[in-house]
Amino acid sequence: MALINVAAREIHCKIVYYGPGMCGKTSNLQYIHAQVPRDTKGDLLSIATETERTLFFDFLPLDLGKVRGFQTRFHLYTVPGQVLYERTRVAVLNGSDGVVFVADSQRSKLEENIKSLKELAINITRQNKKFQDYPVVLQYNKRDLSEILPVSVLDKYLNGMHWQRYEAIATTGVGVFDTLKAISKLVISRL
Amino acid sequence: MDPQLTSLIVPSEEIAKIEECLNHLVEDTGGNYTLLLDKSGQVIASQGDGDRQDITALGALIAGTFASSREVAKLLREKDFRVLFQQGVRENIFIALIEEQWILCIIFNKGTHIGLVKVLTKKATDELAGVLERVRQQHKARDEVLGSSFRTSMEDTIDLLFRD
Ligand SMILES: Nc1nc2c(ncn2[C@@H]2O[C@H](COP(=O)(O)OP(=O)(O)O)[C@@H](O)[C@H]2O)c(=O)[nH]1
Ligand SMILES: [Mg+2]
Repeated sequence: MALINVAAREIHCKIVYYGPGMCGKTSNLQYIHAQVPRDTKGDLLSIATETERTLFFDFLPLDLGKVRGFQTRFHLYTVPGQVLYERTRVAVLNGSDGVVFVADSQRSKLEENIKSLKELAINITRQNKKFQDYPVVLQYNKRDLSEILPVSVLDKYLNGMHWQRYEAIATTGVGVFDTLKAISKLVISRL
Repeated sequence: MDPQLTSLIVPSEEIAKIEECLNHLVEDTGGNYTLLLDKSGQVIASQGDGDRQDITALGALIAGTFASSREVAKLLREKDFRVLFQQGVRENIFIALIEEQWILCIIFNKGTHIGLVKVLTKKATDELAGVLERVRQQHKARDEVLGSSFRTSMEDTIDLLFRD
């Protein structure tokens, strides 16, 4: 739930990047962190294992400055994708205002994507929220690889809800900001 | 509370009450610093020595710690861990939950007895629960607070800043 502090004239929104392990969630945040102007971003905080896999979450605070007199902040998080960390994902989702679901476009990853999306629906529902009303933007990542599924097939299995969706190559930044803009605007429209 | 409610609007007069309550807690315990967080990790208010580094990251981490301890509680079939205590070499941190929505943290050093912190934190969480209850009850329209053109201005800002 977004927080509007009338005294300090601040608005805070929390956005979580969700998806199976290795789909490119951390890469999205790394690219955003590298590109946004210095005074907009805080440090990128990563709680990772020694092998660089996300253990708890990555966290990137973005400060958009004053809009109509309100200091507006977006806090971006990623969850750890491995099946093992299901409970950790629940913890990171707590209090979120919107989700970017990052799917791995590779043929071999379809089942993992479907499982992860199902789990997301369950976790949002457990927070007493209606999943069909929940702000979600879909990202089909790794479009640069060769063994990938066509967008129409991914749509068929992952986008029954007709969310906005973007093709991306998170490592080079293709589609990363389109995705971020879409989820930010969606969250703002629901304040 | 309506679970579909998408934003919690904390009015100025309630922020003033929160700050007063935090201020008492720091003064009466002799603690160094206290902050009130939303469960999403966002800092609502803080009081105490001013030169704390990186409050934003601190908020995200404390809320993450609390949320993960809640999942631990579920696995142990505990209802919840209402409080958490982390002991450092120089400073300790005591964390208490307020109605599943807010998190109160107090940072203190060796000079302060943990027993006192526990008692006074309990008193503060009761007071803050009252504030939270009032905040949840009020039904201010968003447009009343933000103004009707907020959304378009926000979209322009997003387009301006979120690009490579
Ligand atoms: N080829 C390619 N590799 C990617 C892309 N996005 C991420 N990767 C790689 O996939 C691996 C996992 O990425 P990471 O962001 O850590 O995934 P996470 O587990 O979802 O956080 C890393 O080696 C990335 O460099 C992409 O769009 N194309
Ligand atoms: Mg990661």
